[in-house]
Amino acid sequence: MHPLADVWANITNPDKIVVCVPGASLTEMVDNDNFKGEVELKFGPVKAKYGGNIAFLERNAETYSMKMKGSGTDVKGKGGADMLLNGVLTEKDGGTEVSVTMDVTVQGMLAQFGSRLVTDATNHVFDQFIKNFKAQLEGKEVDNSLSAGAMVGSMIKGIFGSK
Amino acid sequence: MGHSLKRKEDARFIQGKGHYVDDVKLPGMLYMDIVRSPYAYAKIKEIDISEAMKVPGVVAVVSGRDLEKYNLHWMPTLMSDTQMVLPTDTVMYQSQEVCAVIATTKYAARDGREAVRVSYEPMKPVIDPFKAMDPAAPVLRTDKPGKKDNHIWHWAAGDKEKTEEVFSKADIVVKEQMHIPRIHVASIETCGCVADYDKVNNHLTMYMTTQAPHAIRTVIALVAGHVGLTEEKVRVIAPDIGGGFGGKVPVYPGYVIAIAVSFLVGKPVKWVEDRSENLQADSFARDYHITAEMAGTKDGKILGTRFKILADHGYTDASANPSKFPTGMFSIATGSYDYDTTYMECDAIYTNKPPGGVAYRCSFRVTEAVHAIERITDRFALEVGKDPADLRMQNFIKKEQFPWKSPTGWIYDSGDYHAGLEKAMEALNYNDLRREQAEKRAKGELMGIGISTFTEIVGAGPSKDFDILGIKMFDSAEIRVHPTGKAIARFGTKSQGQGHETTYAQIIAEELGLPAENIAIEEGDTDTAPYGLGTYASRSTPTAGAAAAMAARKLRDKARKIAAYLLEVSEDDLEWEPGKFFVKGAPEKAKTIQEIVFAAYTNHPQGMEAGFEATHYYDPPNLTFPSGAYICVVDLDKETCEIKVRRFVAIDDCGNIINPMIVQGQVHGGLTQGIAPAMYEELIYDEQGNILNGTFMDYLVPTAVESPKWETGHTVTPSPHHPIGAKGVGESPTVGAPPAIANAIVDALAPYGITHLDIPITPYKIFKALKEKGVF
Repeated sequence: MHPLADVWANITNPDKIVVCVPGASLTEMVDNDNFKGEVELKFGPVKAKYGGNIAFLERNAETYSMKMKGSGTDVKGKGGADMLLNGVLTEKDGGTEVSVTMDVTVQGMLAQFGSRLVTDATNHVFDQFIKNFKAQLEGKEVDNSLSAGAMVGSMIKGIFGSK
Repeated sequence: MGHSLKRKEDARFIQGKGHYVDDVKLPGMLYMDIVRSPYAYAKIKEIDISEAMKVPGVVAVVSGRDLEKYNLHWMPTLMSDTQMVLPTDTVMYQSQEVCAVIATTKYAARDGREAVRVSYEPMKPVIDPFKAMDPAAPVLRTDKPGKKDNHIWHWAAGDKEKTEEVFSKADIVVKEQMHIPRIHVASIETCGCVADYDKVNNHLTMYMTTQAPHAIRTVIALVAGHVGLTEEKVRVIAPDIGGGFGGKVPVYPGYVIAIAVSFLVGKPVKWVEDRSENLQADSFARDYHITAEMAGTKDGKILGTRFKILADHGYTDASANPSKFPTGMFSIATGSYDYDTTYMECDAIYTNKPPGGVAYRCSFRVTEAVHAIERITDRFALEVGKDPADLRMQNFIKKEQFPWKSPTGWIYDSGDYHAGLEKAMEALNYNDLRREQAEKRAKGELMGIGISTFTEIVGAGPSKDFDILGIKMFDSAEIRVHPTGKAIARFGTKSQGQGHETTYAQIIAEELGLPAENIAIEEGDTDTAPYGLGTYASRSTPTAGAAAAMAARKLRDKARKIAAYLLEVSEDDLEWEPGKFFVKGAPEKAKTIQEIVFAAYTNHPQGMEAGFEATHYYDPPNLTFPSGAYICVVDLDKETCEIKVRRFVAIDDCGNIINPMIVQGQVHGGLTQGIAPAMYEELIYDEQGNILNGTFMDYLVPTAVESPKWETGHTVTPSPHHPIGAKGVGESPTVGAPPAIANAIVDALAPYGITHLDIPITPYKIFKALKEKGVF
């Protein structure tokens, strides 16, 4: 059980939230709302590193809703990716209900070569993000590294195991 | 003629001794690789070549800005639109060429390509052609002054008012919206070239994967004449080609860049695409959204049809149709049926997708037309409750009605549609199959029978209507018979696997009586071959094949004169049988063609030109109209929705047959390329303009595993106007197969109220359709 204020503090703090995204890191703070960062994604044999901007579009402490947008281009010029994160917090039985949606759009090589993998991989990124976010609230160390083997492994498990 | 002579070219192909563009290796040759855009629509902010230039072996990186200095950064398309060679500011589709890396080895060029850093500013692309029509949609072709929308052209044929009247009064009107998917020819050999510019002699030799070498030479001269490459300074050589299917008709930017670079550095430059580049950037085919309607009586008489098309051309109109026919031969869509009312129209649209619209193994949009008419005919049969075979028999144009004028003005030369369908029905005991189907339906099992009875229109074409960039669509043959009676014949066409070296030799053998094995056939070198428009749209036999027969007949006329001289009789006293002239009533007094030819060089009559050579440019008086009756039987697994093609019978009528084995081979290949869009192939783009199946992992080309056993046969209705009564055949199966398969699958699903499914029809599509109907 995590009080609303604690969760809100984490989800609106760039240093905290960005590291929950697997493969992501902050490299520069431009101003209070805008940051520069990098995300590395691996879809099976395809690897892409995106550099770009992260911005808080909304951090409304009254409604406890936030929007964060990351947009980056592949450092080799082979494509780009956008991510829109929407979070709304509500208090529930002394704890906090977190409703998060994540839209990921990829363009270029990754979208082409990873078309069969992107949806599953994005879901996996999202699951890992939630897991990291929870771990962080519990004061545990967050490991946001992403290994290609692990991702493919868990996707295969996802496809053949649990569905 | 009429014999299954083994293909002369196969000796080298089956031994791996074919000579393709990638086999061309010249001293000092450089290699080119191309950086392509990851975005469907973006501004180019910067191209940083500094790292690429550090790669050992990289000689240069060429961008649109570099070509701009020579005014070579734009080129015309075959449809008189314009296309970037390399962009200076904006990329318009994913995989568009951005810049070219030139290096001393293929691998250095690829490493250099990986090291080029391009920064883009992505823009929101227009992918959906229906949305592209929206007045609020961004205008894509801002390079065209005054362009205010994404509309390219409007085309219409038929009688609009009369059609509206027939439709308003008809008992029955059926309508379906169909998409003929964007697909790719996916030939085994990708596209490529070696551009070899010789600075000293100011001469360009272009080894190139092209189906139309002469037209390409003229285009090069028109585009690069201003830098000194006039037509006599250009030699285009198309060596062996590993499949064309229409994909090797257009001029791709890669060819032009290779020429420009060779011209600038004075060294040969080789460019060969890889598999993904070929699939993602080269001309697509089809991509027609068609609303098809049919009006008729309650007892199944067809009264009229109406077709409204939205054609997605991608970034530019780079299709390859004759100039007067922006939708190709789509107006054959009235089909094999006897009625006199139709109206069809088409709007062509720009989107942020690769350009193309080539005739993929079909005579200019005939696949789209045949799919529309054959699907809507089945839909009409379903509506009036008639067996689709009976309904077709009822409506066919009768044998004695030929030559028959179609509602859009084509003069169908000959046909016997009833005989074709009867033969196909007999081949698989049609009535028994319908009984079996009724029993299976009672048990809830899914079995379908689909028919397609199509009329093709091939052999473009008569010069009054047909040209490409103004050049009339005749074709040519030149025959030279050597003193010892052996010959070489050259043509303006170019085989890509069709077997011209065999069939042309057979035609000349038939006309001249020389053994086919003594006739060498050569194509593809513009320095030696007579001018011609090339091989596509099943035009080679109707045009160049006819030219071969006509040139041979000129030689036979000369042979008669020489024989008369040698035998000291009058020409009128001579009779011909293949191989010799003999004196009427005295067959022992004869001269063989070999003796006559030898005399043409050693003892020719005074006043006659020596030698034994002839050339003919054949301008066909009409197109040829092959036809076919195809029946497909499918079984669907109700649990997995798997489609099993149980039988596929194809009865083709291509007039007189030159080589039955080659025709059968053509039909087998064409049927396999017909099952492809029916069940497997479609180039899929997401809203961002990313291609989602840009490799053969995802773009499913059918292999031997997927191909059913093809059962082929033929009826013979000779073309009355062709010198040897032949029609084209290469494309009939690709055109005729998809609707037979689609009709069979929809027939299987008809008990559930399903009236149409867009191709490719996959198990998942069937599952979704059945789910919608509450089956799952």
